Amino acid sequence: MANEFGENPIQTEGDIVTCRKLIRNASVAAGFGMTDVTRIVTAVSELARNVYVHSGSHGVMRWQTLYKPGQIGIQLEFEDYGVGIPDIDQAIEAGFTTAGSMGMGLSGVKRLMDDMTIKSETSVGTIVTIEKWGRAK
Amino acid sequence: MDENTLSVIKLKNILLVTVPDEPGDDIIHELQTKVLHAIEKYQSKGLILDISNVNILDSFFARTISETTQMVALMGGKTVIAGMQPCVAITATELGLHLGKAISTLDVDRALDIFSDNFKLV
Repeated sequence: MANEFGENPIQTEGDIVTCRKLIRNASVAAGFGMTDVTRIVTAVSELARNVYVHSGSHGVMRWQTLYKPGQIGIQLEFEDYGVGIPDIDQAIEAGFTTAGSMGMGLSGVKRLMDDMTIKSETSVGTIVTIEKWGRAK
Repeated sequence: MDENTLSVIKLKNILLVTVPDEPGDDIIHELQTKVLHAIEKYQSKGLILDISNVNILDSFFARTISETTQMVALMGGKTVIAGMQPCVAITATELGLHLGKAISTLDVDRALDIFSDNFKLV
């Protein structure tokens, strides 16, 4: 099966919903089951909102589907040009928040996905990459 | 369903709100304000939030539900969340979300039962 890929800007609140819909369709098309689709879309919602809130309305989501023998996967990258995350370990800790939310964002996303990596540079920006794998039908 | 508006329906002395499947942040903000004003206007004793269409519950939506429940409680009302889909319940738990003091039921019928049971006691 051919790899699908794309990107979507994250500049307005409405882009969060657009990203969710885009990735819902892509995950269903890739063959993920309903629960995994919900996990992936929820992770997208959390990370797209992070980008929107912290990046001064400049950010982008890139995605691609991945295939290994017997497996399907999706990889997503959220890039913002915000202030950066000074302490990544602290940011992933459950309960940590700078935005007055529940603080479940990054730690929760990590639990929903199979892999999460964060690259961040102060005053330059942050890239959060997540991956989810499932069994091919 | 029109995704850009939210209807607050008065049913005797409670309010029923059906949330669209992919609620945007604006709809979620609107939910809180509309509900609180409707409670004042109709002197409602409670709120049923029908989320059976909702296929994503993230931390922002969960926080708004939790806050709204608290605000409704301050105005003397009870909030019941009805009809959460299994995949949403699984994801919300894994993400670490909680809905504060809101009560949950399987569907709107059971939510209505909660209110009618309560009213018998009053």
